[in-house]
Amino acid sequence: MAVLAPAPVSTAPVPGRKRLSRALSERRTRFGLLNAAPVVVYLLLLFVYPIFSILMLSLKGESGGFTLHWYTDAFQGANLEILLTTLRISAETSLLSLVIGFVLAAAVSRLKPLWAGLVMVVVVVPHFISALVRTYGWIILLGEHGVVNNALTDLHVPGAPFQLLYNELGVVIGTTSVMLPYTVLLLYAVMKGIDRRLMAAAASMGAGRLTIFRRVYVPLVAPGLVNAGILCFILCLGYYITPALMGGPKQTMVASLIDTQVMKQDQWNGASALGIVLLLLTFAGLLLLRVLKSAGERYRNRGTAS
Amino acid sequence: MNDARIDRRLFLRAIGGVTAGVAAATTLSACGTGTSRSVAGGGKSSKTLVVRDSGGTYGDANKKAVYDAFTKETGIRIEVVNIQYAQMLAQIQQGRPQFDIIDDSMSDFLRFKQADATEDLDYERLKNFKNAGIAKTLVTSNAIGKNYWASVMAYRTDAFGGKKPSSWADFWDTKAFPGARALQGLDADRPVLEFALLADGVPLDKLYPLDLDRAFKSLDHIKGSIKKFWDTGALPGVLLGRQEVVATDVWHGRLDALIKQGSPLAYQWNGARRQSNALGIAKGAANLDAAYQLIDFALRPDVQAAYAELYPMAPSVPAAYKKLSPTTAANLGSSPEHLKTGFDMDVAWWAENDDVVAKRWQEWTHA
Repeated sequence: MAVLAPAPVSTAPVPGRKRLSRALSERRTRFGLLNAAPVVVYLLLLFVYPIFSILMLSLKGESGGFTLHWYTDAFQGANLEILLTTLRISAETSLLSLVIGFVLAAAVSRLKPLWAGLVMVVVVVPHFISALVRTYGWIILLGEHGVVNNALTDLHVPGAPFQLLYNELGVVIGTTSVMLPYTVLLLYAVMKGIDRRLMAAAASMGAGRLTIFRRVYVPLVAPGLVNAGILCFILCLGYYITPALMGGPKQTMVASLIDTQVMKQDQWNGASALGIVLLLLTFAGLLLLRVLKSAGERYRNRGTAS
Repeated sequence: MNDARIDRRLFLRAIGGVTAGVAAATTLSACGTGTSRSVAGGGKSSKTLVVRDSGGTYGDANKKAVYDAFTKETGIRIEVVNIQYAQMLAQIQQGRPQFDIIDDSMSDFLRFKQADATEDLDYERLKNFKNAGIAKTLVTSNAIGKNYWASVMAYRTDAFGGKKPSSWADFWDTKAFPGARALQGLDADRPVLEFALLADGVPLDKLYPLDLDRAFKSLDHIKGSIKKFWDTGALPGVLLGRQEVVATDVWHGRLDALIKQGSPLAYQWNGARRQSNALGIAKGAANLDAAYQLIDFALRPDVQAAYAELYPMAPSVPAAYKKLSPTTAANLGSSPEHLKTGFDMDVAWWAENDDVVAKRWQEWTHA
């Protein structure tokens, strides 16, 4: 989550060097650096080093030596299909959980604190239950003879029972429910911070409800939407259990593929390459976040300038 | 300048820390659990034997039927760890396995053998092995079969109007036996290509080497009726119980609780794929003598029978059947009757072809 925090405002760049050395001469700064050292060492040891060795592993041929074979393999045939499926499911999930999360958070942010807390508990608590048990719950709910389909059949809805499990729809329903707390919590925090008087002011100037929503509310929530959407997307990329349990044969995600390669095929190099690809996709997501943020800022600045 | 130097010194110290810690990190990341047992444990550790098994109810039965009885008889304490193949191999290759004895599938022992990670067994030291009549497929250079388990067909007895699917050909015949199916997927275990071949008319004794083209062609016929390729052992029971599917393959034993509760489910033993769990000794094991003692103990007919009464895995020692109740015996994969109608998975063939099959399976499911 820390990575998603707004970029620190850069310290005045003009007398940078002087400032830096002055800052370093302060006791407090030195003390701070000393305090940071254990964390830096910790991260180097347990985060940077393993990732670096994974990178090396992904570039190592079966008989040693450098090769890009594992990467070309990752972008071929079924593997490419799985990669694209992962991207597609992640995109669908983040879109859906944004929409639902937006509606839910907007509703909750208007509730009294007690009720808001209660709704949050309802959203978050299912995630304390083991994924396996939760999935059986989904089967009871969404199965061919599940609650939803039974209700639809009793109502004589044409086409019922529908297949809501073991296809992409099932996976997206499952992953969305897993991702929902993140979007709701993020959006809720943003929405709580919005000054309601702005909407009142817009209304007093004669703006209609739709205009207020479109021109005032959404732009104010936009940073939260971008954050939540990309967080969702990134979390989904590495998601594993729900797609495996609620998907059909075509909904394999990259994480399952990695698991198969390591646990079943002893194929550490190929798995490493896939891991690195996932990592790069995550970085790409974060980069997109920065680009969108700065684009948004520029847009806003232009608004004030004109 | 002075400040800069302090900074650099700090940095250098950090680098020093990294180099010193790299060794530790390698061990940590390699063994996963991070707790390698010291081999030089002294006299005290020789009284404790560490066994790896897969845990769960399987492990519970092991504890009751084998470990506790062994401790009672010999005074040697038993500790259990539940770690996966990749972790075991990493620990053994580090030279300090956390465990002495491995209780694992025969397939894994074949991989251990190829990685030179297990001791060769000295069968002279196993007196219960002599004349026990254990099947040849269960006796290898580094492991001795402890019990059988099997993948069998299971179906809802209320689904086909009193008819029973009696073979994999019936399972494949969605006209005579209509309804959705499930089959074990790649994530759970090796794909059940053998069932596809049996359904296509290949006789039991001519299965191996598997004809991949024929198997996948046979699978094509049923692909459209398969709702889910299951990936965890508990799923077939849920799918059958919730009427999501009317027939599936299942790891035998997984439905026992449901059947006892009165669910209309049944196993079909015809064409069962048997695999076996075996015992072996890790290279670098701290307690060789005690390890042999435990393996020998586990092969005693009464211990084998006690185990089968607790957990529906079949004894590898035929004499155990003399000590088993008839109801238990009828529900086991190595009963004389089931031995005839099922087959042993050829672990050597699979070990050689795992990669090819996995790749082909993934392509087939995504086609």
